[in-house]
Amino acid sequence: MKIEGTETLHAPRDRVWALLDDPQALASCTPGMQELRPTGPDEFEAVLSIGIAAVRGTYKGKLRITERTPPERYAVQVEGSSGAGFVRAVGVLELEDQGAQTGVRWSGEVQVGGALTLGSRMIPGIARMLAGQFFQCLDRKLQEGSA
Amino acid sequence: MKPPVFDYQDPASVEEALELLARHGAAAKVLAGGQSLMPLLNLRLARPEVVVDINRIDALDYLTEESGWLRVGARVRQRRLEREADVRRMVPLLAEAVRFVGHPQIRNRGTVCGSLAHADPAAELPAVAVAVGARLVARSRSGVREIPAEEFFTGPLTTALRPDELLAEARFPCTGPDWGWAFLEVSNRHGDYALCAVAAGVRAGDGRIQDARLAYAGAGPVPVRLREAEAALVEHSDLEEGIRAASAEARRVLQPDGDLHASSEFRRHLAAVLTARTVRLAWTRARTRSGGAHA
Repeated sequence: MKIEGTETLHAPRDRVWALLDDPQALASCTPGMQELRPTGPDEFEAVLSIGIAAVRGTYKGKLRITERTPPERYAVQVEGSSGAGFVRAVGVLELEDQGAQTGVRWSGEVQVGGALTLGSRMIPGIARMLAGQFFQCLDRKLQEGSA
Repeated sequence: MKPPVFDYQDPASVEEALELLARHGAAAKVLAGGQSLMPLLNLRLARPEVVVDINRIDALDYLTEESGWLRVGARVRQRRLEREADVRRMVPLLAEAVRFVGHPQIRNRGTVCGSLAHADPAAELPAVAVAVGARLVARSRSGVREIPAEEFFTGPLTTALRPDELLAEARFPCTGPDWGWAFLEVSNRHGDYALCAVAAGVRAGDGRIQDARLAYAGAGPVPVRLREAEAALVEHSDLEEGIRAASAEARRVLQPDGDLHASSEFRRHLAAVLTARTVRLAWTRARTRSGGAHA
């Protein structure tokens, strides 16, 4: 399943990039991220508790930054599994310089397996909701930082 | 499969249930008809620590009319909406839409409030709630609040209910005398979740549409009310022109996700077609209603 969206962050592109490049900031804005441990250059082990309502699972997996072109483009790969199945996702962020603010174009390709496939019709909507929370959090951090 | 281990509580009063929800918060899940929760438990997609079964709470089993509103308590099964003549008279859209919910076996057990609280974006009753402007009564130990349906659904399977709140009642406004309503959906098999469903209501007067409501299921992350399409129906004095404009709006504004069952484009096509069909049907009913209630 492919999903995509656009967002506007209220800070210049350099600051947005610096934030995205900080794994701890990234981790603190990722919905459900409980642990993010570096295991190598641009590689992390992650524990995420994601889900909505009662459909929530704790996923253990790997997160790898596969592409990094400062300050415009950033790509990550995530793989995780839980008792309910597995999730694999590739995400790309592109930052557009708009002066005092930054336009973000994001896209993701999500694959799920196991019992999770039963909810596949809702996954794009859920992914978009989680992405929205992620960007809102980043924006909040950026605005706090400039205050 | 069998569910993961959980603690089971079956309080006999609303107060006890609220006490349990206050104590366990997000770790607790309310069990009403179990038509969504039990499969989720058995697949181990849901892993609540505590299940609060409200089936013993007789105080939540009421279906009454009060000052122009139909009040549906949390233990009312969906089947009652189609069986009771009063529901067909007061909120005909509910009686019509509920027949699309699963199968009779599911409706015998599944509750109205359960379906609303589960908030599946392709489910029928949430779209009806949004279409008619229902109000959802959330109770917790700290009090009662009424949430308008449009603010209640916040995402797929996600609502404005706090973890300590119980959806105790749904209130549906009784249909006005010049209104006609219609509900149609397309699904792969009858009883499946809708690929797209439309709830339409129109108020007839002076030979044209004076007011309109349009709500869609399966067309986004939450049930959507489309004010642009409603406005198109009211603006055009010619019914078919209004319908064409409203259908075009539905196709333009809605952004359903595609999946294995239907592409986004096909869902938008269905939204446009079902807009036209439901509005025509609602219009016919609105005009016959002026003479007397239709069943």
